[in-house]
Amino acid sequence: MLSRQDIDYDALVKEDRVHLSLYTDPTIFTDEMDKIFHRGWVYVGHQGEVPNQGDFRLKRIGLQPVIMVRDQHGHVQLLLNRCRHRSATVCQQGQGNTRSFRCMYHGWTYHLDGELSGVPGEEAYGSDFNRKELSLVKVPRVANYRGFIFGSLSPAGITLEEHLGRAAAELDLFVGLSNAEDVEVTSGIHKYSYQGNWKLAAENSMDGYHPMITHASFGQALMDKIQNSPSPEQSRADRDFSTFRGAAKDFGNGHVMLDYRLRIYDSLNGDPTPAVRTITPEGQTRFDELTRRFGEQRAANMLREGGTHTFIFPNLILIGIQMRVLQPLSASHTEVCLYPTLLKWLAPEVNTIRLRSHEAFFGAASFGGPDDSEIFERVQDGCAVQLEPWQILSRGLHRERYEDGVIIGEMSDEVTQRGIWRHWKKVMTQGTATARTARKRTGNGLAGKRG
Amino acid sequence: MAFDRQQVEWFIYNEAQLMDEHRYDEWLALWSDDALYWVPSGRDEIDPKREISLVYDDRVRLQVRIARLKSGFAHAQEPKSRMRRVVSNIVIEETENGELLVQSNFLLAELRRGKQDIFAGRTIHRLRPYNGSFKLVSKKVLLVNNDEHIDNLTFLI
Repeated sequence: MLSRQDIDYDALVKEDRVHLSLYTDPTIFTDEMDKIFHRGWVYVGHQGEVPNQGDFRLKRIGLQPVIMVRDQHGHVQLLLNRCRHRSATVCQQGQGNTRSFRCMYHGWTYHLDGELSGVPGEEAYGSDFNRKELSLVKVPRVANYRGFIFGSLSPAGITLEEHLGRAAAELDLFVGLSNAEDVEVTSGIHKYSYQGNWKLAAENSMDGYHPMITHASFGQALMDKIQNSPSPEQSRADRDFSTFRGAAKDFGNGHVMLDYRLRIYDSLNGDPTPAVRTITPEGQTRFDELTRRFGEQRAANMLREGGTHTFIFPNLILIGIQMRVLQPLSASHTEVCLYPTLLKWLAPEVNTIRLRSHEAFFGAASFGGPDDSEIFERVQDGCAVQLEPWQILSRGLHRERYEDGVIIGEMSDEVTQRGIWRHWKKVMTQGTATARTARKRTGNGLAGKRG
Repeated sequence: MAFDRQQVEWFIYNEAQLMDEHRYDEWLALWSDDALYWVPSGRDEIDPKREISLVYDDRVRLQVRIARLKSGFAHAQEPKSRMRRVVSNIVIEETENGELLVQSNFLLAELRRGKQDIFAGRTIHRLRPYNGSFKLVSKKVLLVNNDEHIDNLTFLI
């Protein structure tokens, strides 16, 4: 097995292909946990998951367990889930509400903001024992963008705004331009896992080439629905999906998207699709703004079924009405959580259709997601082949356009996969002090070539 | 109306066998037009208007589910799961409108691509007397692991 210093990422990640060991090698997995997940900005959770004081959810940043909690002052804290005494976790349930965290090994107790509040038999410690120095460790950098909470285990680095760059606007669209507190993330979690590398789900989520094949069964069900549709308008929307118009975009920093027009998940519902109705003046303003920008039909579609289709490097995917979070466990094992969202200013029947739309395509029993997971496991199996060990990612490379800092291609072009890998390589080679990588790391490897 | 316990049990056992053997059309034929096939996610008692389920199929979506499974392109069931389940602890209750609420436990061994999984739970069937037998009006499946990571639930549960 290679040692970490020996890995030549320039040789493994080419512009038009990547080496299969990037999906299978345990040393590379350890290296990317360290460089990507334990140093850079990682999505942790949304403030809407912990609306009330004492609400908590268990998360991870990379492989490290984290408690996301609304503390006694109303602030969302990210605390590492480990007693400062002898290292047992202090929070066990996936979610809940509590007044404090108590370690059940020796009884050390912590306030919601992490401060050590009680030590049984404290007099047995010497005079140098200082509770203040023994709070639960806080994630060194925490930043909140419109309710999306990111953490970085590194005390220094670029700001979250710099990391998100142009992709920030897609987070705005995902929540229908809502304020952070108008987003509800208390509608349950779809959880699944697969025996495959985490990057397979990242690449696939932004792959405009696969739907007609991987999701042929869903497409066929749609075509049946079109043929039997009593509504010409719905029929037209369905056909728009079947031709799958739009663009693939690379925003830089590993953030990529499929920019398409209409979604169709809810057309598999028996009930008629409700008109979008808002229940607050502020909500009506948001709806009007979306209508002004995108037209009435697409604005309504965005609110019923989701406003963007974006990957935020390295672990957040916004599709439909869900936030999807990738949790790598090993080179060949990944857990995925889907968090459906509701908007407080939408009428109840519209929020319900958001959930029904989501269930059609997503979750372990749905008509879409499980077929993707099946393909991930087939790919992981295929990656055991050591002859010609390359994934080809050249689709549409010759026709990429570069507009205002964004690389744009046709919907089915592999612009998005290339964008993820370009940034992945940049992060993985940062601080590698060899002349070879130093020479190639001019700018972001992108502006130099195309700018 | 007094019900025939053996007839109810036969209906439940038959439904289980149709699911085990992927006899999709026969299974679909058990259902009424106002069908609801429901597998809650996260915990047993949720508000489906505000919370997601693993399955929340009305009649239309149930038909889509079956059409998809029969299409040959539902890759998560290609190859299909091999399954056998045991259904037991049956409790039957007659409701005011003459329908029956049938509660039962199940234990399912499911094998696919070399990996065998165990699923267990409690099922609540609502049966409507019809033509000397029953129509299946609703079915709510309370999975023991509905708050865990479930990789593939594309077979009938």
